[in-house]
Amino acid sequence: MSTSNGDIVEATHISRVFPMPAGPVTAVADVTLRIAPGDHLAIRGPSGCGKSTLLHILGCVETPTAGTLLFNGNDVTTLSDRQRSLLRLRRIGFVFQRFFLLPMLTAAENIELPQSEADVSKAERRKRTSELLDYVGLGARADHRPSELSGGEMQRVAIARALANRPGLLLADEPTGELDRATGEQIAALLDRVNADGTALVIVTHDPALAERCTRVLTMRDGRIESETTSA
Amino acid sequence: MNAMGFAWRSLIRQPARASLGVLGVAAVGALLFDMLLLSQGLVVSMRDLFERTGFDLRVTATDSLPGQGPLIPNAVAAARAIAKLPTVRSAIALRFANATIVDGGPRGYYTSFQGVEGTGAHPWSILRGRDIGTGAEIVINENTATRLALAPGSRVVLRASCTDQKQALPPMPFTVAGVAQFPFDTPRGATLATSLEMLADACGGNESDEADVIMVASQDSAGPAAAVADVATLLPDLRVLSNAEAVNRFERGGFTYFRQISTVLTTVTLSFAVLLITVLLTVSINQRLGEIAALRALGFSRWRVVADVLCESVLIVGGGGLLSLPIGGLLAAGLDNILKRIPGIPADVHFFVFQPSALRVHLLLLAATAVIAALYPIRIVARLPIAATLRDEVVG
Repeated sequence: MSTSNGDIVEATHISRVFPMPAGPVTAVADVTLRIAPGDHLAIRGPSGCGKSTLLHILGCVETPTAGTLLFNGNDVTTLSDRQRSLLRLRRIGFVFQRFFLLPMLTAAENIELPQSEADVSKAERRKRTSELLDYVGLGARADHRPSELSGGEMQRVAIARALANRPGLLLADEPTGELDRATGEQIAALLDRVNADGTALVIVTHDPALAERCTRVLTMRDGRIESETTSA
Repeated sequence: MNAMGFAWRSLIRQPARASLGVLGVAAVGALLFDMLLLSQGLVVSMRDLFERTGFDLRVTATDSLPGQGPLIPNAVAAARAIAKLPTVRSAIALRFANATIVDGGPRGYYTSFQGVEGTGAHPWSILRGRDIGTGAEIVINENTATRLALAPGSRVVLRASCTDQKQALPPMPFTVAGVAQFPFDTPRGATLATSLEMLADACGGNESDEADVIMVASQDSAGPAAAVADVATLLPDLRVLSNAEAVNRFERGGFTYFRQISTVLTTVTLSFAVLLITVLLTVSINQRLGEIAALRALGFSRWRVVADVLCESVLIVGGGGLLSLPIGGLLAAGLDNILKRIPGIPADVHFFVFQPSALRVHLLLLAATAVIAALYPIRIVARLPIAATLRDEVVG
């Protein structure tokens, strides 16, 4: 199944139900959402409302239990685990609240890792990694391990890692959640820049200031989209 | 960075834990290596010893071991008849007795005493002096020469003891022709050898044509199997065994215990290695679930994270396995020295003998250990729910 409207993601009436001992729990219920290239979208809502689950579905980490999910026009639910992995590797970037950098690797090696997995040549990896380190303002910290970096610097490296294979969509789950306000502001500015340079950005956040920077803000409640606001 | 490089970096991230794993595998691997050397060591050693005598067939009166059964009657004539077979190069008749060298102290010096007759080389190697000729000459082993300060040309008087019954045979003088090495000598044992005729004289002149065993060398062109068949046809009342058959008989008999012991200990040590590595890898994986889920979210395939875990296991087992070889070698040498103190064990027999096949089996078993030990941690990472793990890590 394929569409020609150019959307990166087209989710139609998707739901995600988790079977639990006490009975099934609906984390995402009947959500319809499109993400176009260059979109700058925030997903807000109280804890447990299904924000992260929706983000994971959009990022092809979770599969919906109902509805259809197209990524670049292809039905994700029919893809094998291997194919979904490849899709994430080449088309989607993830930024996590807790960074999840590998502590035994340097900043440069952390950024090289997804490129290596994508079979990018060594010379190209080096060049791209150097570009990305400069892009996130850490050109001088290439050989530092995560333990030698501050929280903000680690999140910058994580953003560079997420951009390593030039994804069209960057998903960030509470990217400023572990940072102080000033550092969070710097990360938000960096994410703005990533979006301005053409990467569609979806941010799950509790932080109203971060959400306000986005052109589209979805508010979720009980697994459903309660409202969507769009700004210029 | 490939899976092996990634696994290496993951291991050195926790050097103490990795070292513990490698040392544990080294200890277990050393024991495993020793068990493999032990399982075949005695058989291989005995086969070497048989082959070193230069004879590849032994003919006895019954199935008893030479020296423990009845004597072969008309042994010299039988040996000569065997030697004339086209498949046989040479044959000698050998009789075992005991003797006391009467000038070797208040009670004399107790030795084993061999008599030999036939067409082939004698089953000993001359170290000094010369081999026995005609007349009352003997060759002695190094222990006897040292203990009694004897050398070629020395004269000794000895009293033979040729049957189980008490005898009072007259002492008989002999001249030491040479000092020889006997293949089945024990480390402290004393051995003398002379001609079968002189041994019979020392035994009172009776039974001069009897022997415990006829040792036969087959023609290279014919091989031992053909010679066994010819000898069996020629002398159907006697028992004839090739070296290989004799070794097989040992293997089926007393040596089976060593194989059973080594099999049990091998199983125990391998189980211990599997448990050790499984626990280390599982602890390590459980501490990194968030990172692994993040890698999966970033597009690392299930196979790739599985390969990382398998490579970690291979590196631990590989490192420990390499260390286990020199440790196992040293341990085997020490244990061999202890076991060789058992009375009656020939000095040239070893319990732990290296063979390339033992190394191959060792490597195969360690490789299997690496794979089996990684199965449970591999199951954890292969079935890791990415989204739920990421959620749990944040909540946790």
